[in-house]
Amino acid sequence: MSLWLNAQLKKLLVNYGSHISVLVAVILFMHMLFNPSKQTGSKAGTDLHQQVSNRRRGSLEFLREAPILCFSGRSIMITIPYLTALTTYFSYGLLFVFGQLRDFFRKIIDWWSQSSLQGYAPICLGLEDFYVRRLYLRIQDCFNRPISSPPDAWIDVVERVSKDNNKTLQRTKNVSRCLNIGSYNYLGFAAADEYCTPRVIESLKRFSPSTCSARIDGGTTTLHTELEQCVASFVGKPACVVFGMGYATNSAVLPALIGKGGLIISDSLNHNSIVNGARGTGATVRVFQHNIPSHLEKVLREQIADGQPRTHRPWKKIIVLVEGIYSMEGELCQLPEIVAVCKKYKAYVYLDEAHSIGAIGKTGRGVCELLGVDTAVVDVMMGTFTKSFGSCGGYIAGSEELIQYLKYTCPAHLYATSISPPAAQQIISSIKVILGEDGSNRGAQKLARIRENSNFFRSELQKMGFEVLGDNDSPVMPIMLYNPSKIPAFSRECLKRNVAVVTVAFPATPLLLARARICISAAHTREDLVKALEVRVLSCSY
Amino acid sequence: MANLYVQAVPPTDMNRNTEWFTYPGVWTTYILILFFSWLVVLSVFGCSPGMAWTIVHLSHFLVTYHCFHWKKGTPFSDDQGIYNRLTWWEQIDNGKQLTRNRKFLTVVPVVLYLIASHTTDYQHPMLFFNTLAVFILVVAKFPHMHKVRIFGINADQ
Repeated sequence: MSLWLNAQLKKLLVNYGSHISVLVAVILFMHMLFNPSKQTGSKAGTDLHQQVSNRRRGSLEFLREAPILCFSGRSIMITIPYLTALTTYFSYGLLFVFGQLRDFFRKIIDWWSQSSLQGYAPICLGLEDFYVRRLYLRIQDCFNRPISSPPDAWIDVVERVSKDNNKTLQRTKNVSRCLNIGSYNYLGFAAADEYCTPRVIESLKRFSPSTCSARIDGGTTTLHTELEQCVASFVGKPACVVFGMGYATNSAVLPALIGKGGLIISDSLNHNSIVNGARGTGATVRVFQHNIPSHLEKVLREQIADGQPRTHRPWKKIIVLVEGIYSMEGELCQLPEIVAVCKKYKAYVYLDEAHSIGAIGKTGRGVCELLGVDTAVVDVMMGTFTKSFGSCGGYIAGSEELIQYLKYTCPAHLYATSISPPAAQQIISSIKVILGEDGSNRGAQKLARIRENSNFFRSELQKMGFEVLGDNDSPVMPIMLYNPSKIPAFSRECLKRNVAVVTVAFPATPLLLARARICISAAHTREDLVKALEVRVLSCSY
Repeated sequence: MANLYVQAVPPTDMNRNTEWFTYPGVWTTYILILFFSWLVVLSVFGCSPGMAWTIVHLSHFLVTYHCFHWKKGTPFSDDQGIYNRLTWWEQIDNGKQLTRNRKFLTVVPVVLYLIASHTTDYQHPMLFFNTLAVFILVVAKFPHMHKVRIFGINADQ
């Protein structure tokens, strides 16, 4: 009897096996496609970034069910050509496979040779340096190029050669003069300027290259006080504090502003300094979809209703971190809508204007001026002096109480060396030029020129058929390259034709969206831009 | 045809190691790679189609088990090692279980198993290896196995 059953089963499977397998596959696919993904209970393990709360929430439960106001901002979707996405995945897969193969053989070879460090833990765990060794080093001649002149509109790039297929590079004595469309030189202050440079040299002689001290010890000179007043009035806030390094401004100030029990909501494409600062606070960090105020509202509502993790008490403080211009996209922040959402839910706004201060707005006062947002509603305004002012350092501008508080809690103010006096003088002089207080209208000319140059270049590139991101008026324009093999090809071809361009790949950008980032400067003339466009066409027609 | 564009909502995944899996085109690429590797195996070994599917299924098992469930951490050091204890499978979708990507990745080895066992007519030695492979893969992808290390295999010190 069982034998007969077996035979029947075998016959069934053999005859109808193909139909059954196809049917099963189709049913599973349909189930998966049409069923929304369900959240499992907390027994399935706690997640890194989400909490599953099973307890009864408090009286804020009604917020979840109340209707959500949706702002009609433009929805920012990423557009990718489908075939390019497939080929890009395949290329990265191939690179990954070859890297793993090489690692495998390296492991076999190394097994035979004894290491001199017996008993020590390895410096890099497992996979950590895989990307650098197997992908980045192959094309490392496109990055970290040494220069030997100020980063003006034209720049001297030192040539390098490699004898071992890009594993190491040696500098040669040859230098090529290239058109510079990679430096953050928005207003052209990077090279010698007729108003700024004599004053900087004079302050170098009067003070010294360094104050050799922290601000609270002996590092506050008259220049520093003048600088803080100058920047505060330029930005439009009552008070300001200046630090010696832009990255350190973000990573040292955020931990002073918020701590454990607070909530940070940051844009998903924020700069590494903001991400590190947020991680260093100890607060809970959540992320909202890039530049989409309705998603920010959704995240805010969810988090306020949930409360702190595990205890579900209300949050002590909520800060929302956004940037003025996002340097990898060239996009402006949707500031009016985001500020409105934050005011509604009583969250603080921290605006990082590293790329937008000095470069946009009618008088160069940044994204608030351009979008018509009153600076009084933005609680903390941060910026750097590296991009538009040709100097170094960063600032935080806010109310008097906030700046007083930062001056006695922020470690970058208490322990780090204060900003170098010549650098401070450069900032003061360049702000005077921008505002026209030096007696000429060069500042207004520069601002008009950078706007013209950006719009001209962007429209010409789009006419040529390139995929350019970013808003109008933004001096940063990324050209999408997508494929990993195009990155070194584009970079090397441009260098051959004497154009220095910056290319960015994974992991600084998402895997599919590798790009070449162009930064326009007020120092570029129309001929320079036309030459750059010709080179674009030639290098891409391969 | 080459200008067919797709739109994607920018994801909020901060983990660069798994964020690429949320963009469009990944599923299609995965299926196309499997199909083309079957063609390559057929041409290189000159075996029967069933044997070729078995070879594809078993090498797919080895590769995906190694990449998804064995190797831990991320291939770059920017994130300061916060994912160092998690395999790739535990990292995707921020650890949320039963998402669409996870369901797709669970279905693929099952479908490959059905195709491989059907085209070899359920003969004995291949059927055993195929079944073992799919059993290990599917069990490794269960929600209850999240962050579980059986007998301390692949656990940290």
